[in-house]
Amino acid sequence: MILPYLIIIPLLGAFSMPIVSLLGRRAREAWALLISGATLAVAVQVFRDVWNRGTIVYTLGAKSPFGMANFPIRIVWEVDKLGAIMVVIVAFVSFLAVLYSLEYMAHDTGLEKFYTLILILELGMLGIAITGDIFNFYVFLEIMSIASYALVAFRNDTWEAIEAGIKYMFVGSLASSFVLLGIALLYGQYGTLTMAYLAIKMAENPTIVAKVALALFLGGLLFKSGASPVHMWLADAHPAAPSSISAMLSGLVIKVGGIYAIARIIFSVFSPAVNLTTVGWIIIIFACITLIVGNAMAVIQTDMKRLLAYSSVGQIGYILLGLGIGLAAYGTKVGEIALAGAIYHTVNHALMKALLFLVAGAVIHELGTRNLNELSGLAKSMPKTTFAFLIGAAAIVGLPPLNGFASKWLIYESSALFNPVLGAIAIIGTAFCTAAYVRVLFTFFGKPSEKVIEAKEPGPAMLIPMFILVATIIIMGILPWQISEKFMIPAARALWDVFGYVAALMGVG
Amino acid sequence: MKKTLAFLSLLVIFAALLLATHPDYGIKFGLGGDEWLRYRYTDEYYIEHGVEEVGGTNIVTDIVFDYRGYDTLGEATVLFTAIAGAVALLRPWRRDENE
Repeated sequence: MILPYLIIIPLLGAFSMPIVSLLGRRAREAWALLISGATLAVAVQVFRDVWNRGTIVYTLGAKSPFGMANFPIRIVWEVDKLGAIMVVIVAFVSFLAVLYSLEYMAHDTGLEKFYTLILILELGMLGIAITGDIFNFYVFLEIMSIASYALVAFRNDTWEAIEAGIKYMFVGSLASSFVLLGIALLYGQYGTLTMAYLAIKMAENPTIVAKVALALFLGGLLFKSGASPVHMWLADAHPAAPSSISAMLSGLVIKVGGIYAIARIIFSVFSPAVNLTTVGWIIIIFACITLIVGNAMAVIQTDMKRLLAYSSVGQIGYILLGLGIGLAAYGTKVGEIALAGAIYHTVNHALMKALLFLVAGAVIHELGTRNLNELSGLAKSMPKTTFAFLIGAAAIVGLPPLNGFASKWLIYESSALFNPVLGAIAIIGTAFCTAAYVRVLFTFFGKPSEKVIEAKEPGPAMLIPMFILVATIIIMGILPWQISEKFMIPAARALWDVFGYVAALMGVG
Repeated sequence: MKKTLAFLSLLVIFAALLLATHPDYGIKFGLGGDEWLRYRYTDEYYIEHGVEEVGGTNIVTDIVFDYRGYDTLGEATVLFTAIAGAVALLRPWRRDENE
C-alpha cells in the first residue's frame, strides 16, 4: 500500500528542512527537489492504483475503520477517481514550482522557510484530496491556507506583499471558520465525522441543520475558490506572491481548496439529502457572475500578473458552471458532460495558468517590471519565453490544437444544451478572455522598447519547467477526446456515484 | 449601503444559526438516555471501548492520540507552519544594494 507515503514524504521533507538547511544552500535545494519528485512518483503510482483497482479506502491506525462497532470510529482516507486526478496534478505542478524556484528565488533571503512552506502547501493540498473525514478535511484546509498566507506575504520588504497577505489572511480565516462552524453543526446533529457515513445518516434524517451547514460550507468554499463576489483577495494575493507561488495558488490552491472541496462535499456528503437542482442553480448563478466579472476585469489590467489573476477568476467561473450544471442536471447525459468538462478544465487550467505565471515570473525576473506598457517587443529579446506565453494564452482561450479547447467545448456544449442563455454567457466570457490575451500578445510582438532590448532569456532551471508544461499542454491537446473518454468521464461518473462512495467505505469492514 | 447589506446578511445568518440550534427544529442540547445513544453513538463507543482498545484511562488523550491521531499530526503541522511563516515574515529585509 503506497498511499500513506503521499503524506509521509512531504511531511518528512517539511519537518526535516530546518535541519537539512544547516548543510548549506545546495543541500536544501536538492532536498526540496528530491522530496517533491518522490511525492510526484508516489502520486503517479496512487493514480494508477485507483485507475486499475477502483476506489482506495485506507484506515489510519487499524485494519478497518469500524473497530467493534458498525459505524466508522477512525479517520479514513478515500481516494476515488477524481481524488486521484487531483493528487497527480497537485504533485506535478508543485514539483515544477519547486524546480522553478531554485533559480527564481535565488536572490531572496529566508529560503529554508520558503522551501519548508512550499512543501507544507503541497502536503495540505494532498491531504485535502485524499481524505474521507470531514474534520480532517478542515485540518488540511487550514494547513494549506496558513502556508499560503505566509507564502503570499513572503517578500516582506515590498508593501504590496504585506498588504495582500493581511487581506488574504483576515478574510481567509473568516471563510475557514464558516467551514468549521458547518462541521460543528453536522457533528452535533449526526454524531459522525466520516463523510460517507455522514451521507447515510443525512439521507435517513434530512434536517434544517444540514441545510444551514451546507450554506456555511458553500460560503466558505466559494471564497476559497475565488468565486465572484468574494474574489477580491485573489486579485491582490496572486500578483504579490513570488511567481512560483502564484503558479501554485492559481493552479492548485483555488482548485483543491475550493472546487474539489465543493464537489466532494456536495456530491459525497449532501447529495442524498438536499435538492440538487436548487444547489446547482445557486452555483450556476455565482458561476455566471464570476465568468463575466473575472474575464472583463482581466481586459482592463495593465499589470501582467494582475491580468492573469483576474483571468483565473474567470476560468474558475467556467469550472463552477460545469459543476453547477452537473448538479442541476444530475442523472442526465448533459450533466455528465458538464461535470466531465469541469474536471477536465480544472486539470487544464492548472497546467496553463501555472505556465502563464511561470512566464510572468521569468519576465519580472529578467526585466524587473510587471507593467505591460513597458514590455513591448519582448518577442525579440526573449523568444523562448514569449513562445511559452503564446502557447499558454492560446490554450486558455481554447484554440483547437491545444488542451483548453476540449474542456471548454464540453462546458459550452453542455451549457448550450442545458440552457442556451448560459451558453451565451460562457461565450461572452471567452470573448473578454480572448481580448485580454490578444492585447498582451500584441504588446509582446510590438516594437522593442529600450528597456526590453537588453533582456536575456532566463536560465535552464526556469526554462525547463516552462517547457515541460508547454509539452504537456501540446500532448494533451493532441489527444483531447481520448483523455476525456478515458479519464474525465469516468471521474465524473465516480463523483456522481454516491452509493459507490459509501459502499466502498462500508465494504471494508 | 454595503454596510447595511452586510449587517442584514449577518442578521440572516444569525437567525439561521438560532433556528439550527433550536431543540425543536435542529440540534438538541443536554442529551440523555435514548437520545444520547441516537446522536452520540461514536462518543459512546469511545467511552465503552477506549480503555481496552487503546490502554489509556484518559479518554480525551485516547481519542486525540490514537483514534484521531492523524488530526493531531495535522494540528502539529499547523503550528509548525504558523511558526515557520511568522519567522519567515519577521526576517530582516533583504538589502537592495545592486538593483
